[in-house]
Amino acid sequence: MKSVITTVVTSADAAGRFPSSSDLESVQGSIQRAAARMEAAEKLGGNIDAVAKEAYDACIKKYPYLNDAGEANSTDTFKAKCHRDIKHYMRLIQYCLVVGGTGPLDEWGIAGSREVYRALNLPTPPYVEALSFARNRGCAPRDLSAQALTEYNALLDYAINSLS
Amino acid sequence: MDNRFSNMFGLSEEECIRWLDTPMEDLKDEPGNLRYAAATHLANYPSDASVQALVRAINNTNPELDNRIVRRKAVETLGRLKSVQALPVVRGCLADEDCYTVENAVWSIGEIGTDDVDILEEVSLLLEKPKQTYRVIIHVLAKLGYKPGVARIQKFTDHEDRSIASAALTSIARLTDDRSQLDKVVEFLQDANVYARRLSIQDLVDAEHYAAIPAIAQSPVSVSFRLRGIRLLADAGVGAGKLDFAKDVEPWLDKVIADDPKDIAMVHEYDQAPTLEFLLGELYQTDFGRCYLALQTLMADHREGLAPVVMATYMDKARNDYGGHYLVMKLLGWLQYEPALELIVSEGLNNPMPQFQKSKFAAALALGDLGTPDAIASLKEGLKSPVWMVKYATLMALEKVGDRTSHETLSDDPDWVIRAKLTRLLGSARSVSTDDSATTVASAR
Repeated sequence: MKSVITTVVTSADAAGRFPSSSDLESVQGSIQRAAARMEAAEKLGGNIDAVAKEAYDACIKKYPYLNDAGEANSTDTFKAKCHRDIKHYMRLIQYCLVVGGTGPLDEWGIAGSREVYRALNLPTPPYVEALSFARNRGCAPRDLSAQALTEYNALLDYAINSLS
Repeated sequence: MDNRFSNMFGLSEEECIRWLDTPMEDLKDEPGNLRYAAATHLANYPSDASVQALVRAINNTNPELDNRIVRRKAVETLGRLKSVQALPVVRGCLADEDCYTVENAVWSIGEIGTDDVDILEEVSLLLEKPKQTYRVIIHVLAKLGYKPGVARIQKFTDHEDRSIASAALTSIARLTDDRSQLDKVVEFLQDANVYARRLSIQDLVDAEHYAAIPAIAQSPVSVSFRLRGIRLLADAGVGAGKLDFAKDVEPWLDKVIADDPKDIAMVHEYDQAPTLEFLLGELYQTDFGRCYLALQTLMADHREGLAPVVMATYMDKARNDYGGHYLVMKLLGWLQYEPALELIVSEGLNNPMPQFQKSKFAAALALGDLGTPDAIASLKEGLKSPVWMVKYATLMALEKVGDRTSHETLSDDPDWVIRAKLTRLLGSARSVSTDDSATTVASAR
């Protein structure tokens, strides 16, 4: 899995060189933010069910499932995706906080998802709605420190940007 | 095209256009991403007004995230609308700094279609540019038959990302008729990465590699991906006279619909005997390879007393999780747990929510496993489903209980696969034509 550290070492090795000063600066930056990331990861991990449910509820509220009579393929409005997907993306965001890079989202959440959603004509606005809600819901210092919130929100933005 | 979700937003064309044209600063108090939903939903309104609104959205280059995603979606929607008039605007996005906007532009060009060599060469040159979505670029070059792109595609056949290598290998087969590398793609159906497994199915479909049907059937990915792949290959292959329904399609469709883990070629294994709690948790994984291994282990090692335990977790977890829900329906059938009859009918076979579609055919099979008169009476409702997999599974379940009293209601079914299956079951000499061609499926006898 890619992280800032593995990326720096892999590209240095590919070129047969030592990591450059800018490589080391990026690693240093990642390490300096590690405490904030770990705080966010711990808080998110401890509240994953509540966070995912709130986000899920927000997207269902936005796109309510109307009880039209009928079967799949024929009724007009449905909730699009369920709690499962939201929780999955939240878990990947937590992994990214631990890793200090977007590798888990890139490799397990985004790479093939965009193609699958497009091929199956699955709607992406519910994801955007749920993840946007989570981004706007977090509050410092009530939920976590300002630095930890910044790290968390950056990954939510990354997920919104990559899935949309 | 699957349009299960096409009306979920409940927006009219005028509303979509109005939201899309609303300045972002006027939407600060409006929760959610209305402009994004509007850009998505305009795909349902093929009109000049829609196209013009989408073009205006693309020309709005405000760099904020909430606008970037609208812009990108507008590019995709123009592709869905196959808007030839928007091609120059879409082409202009090939030079965008945002790689996802470029990806959507490439995809839309593939949907709109073009034989303009300059545009195709511009798309091909993106393969030389770092950090692009190479898989989509390769697909579009193959789809539009751009043979000069082969040399650039060739460089991706050994890519470390197997899904990109898979696209390259199959696209070369499509562009050059050299199909010697397709077995490598078949091997990706057993890759450790779930996306490599899922996406290689699409590539094998694109390459019309009919010989891959057995390997697709056994790949440890969700039943939805396998059924879609086999069905698309069957539609093309039977229609073209290259596949025999009875010999090449039906045995594998039957296996995939039945979806017994023993028919899956697993890529995972346990290094120690897992606990019951762990196995139940594995049913909710997003990698179905892990789900199938758990399902198999549950049935082999924990069968005694399993049904009440599964039911106890149902309300808590499976009810909201379409993956777990599907597997629970299967378990309840295999365990022949009669107290679950009502639940299998109401929340399985008759579940109206589109993401629970596969639970419907799992429920049909489960009712066949129960085999009681009440179960069989409910099961027959499955023959009225608009979803072919549900009807197919219902026929299989009714066969299992030896009830053919309602089979003939499907004799004029619009779906050739259902007619072919019915003909096989009833053993008559009728012939069946596919929907997309007049070719007779001689094997459907």
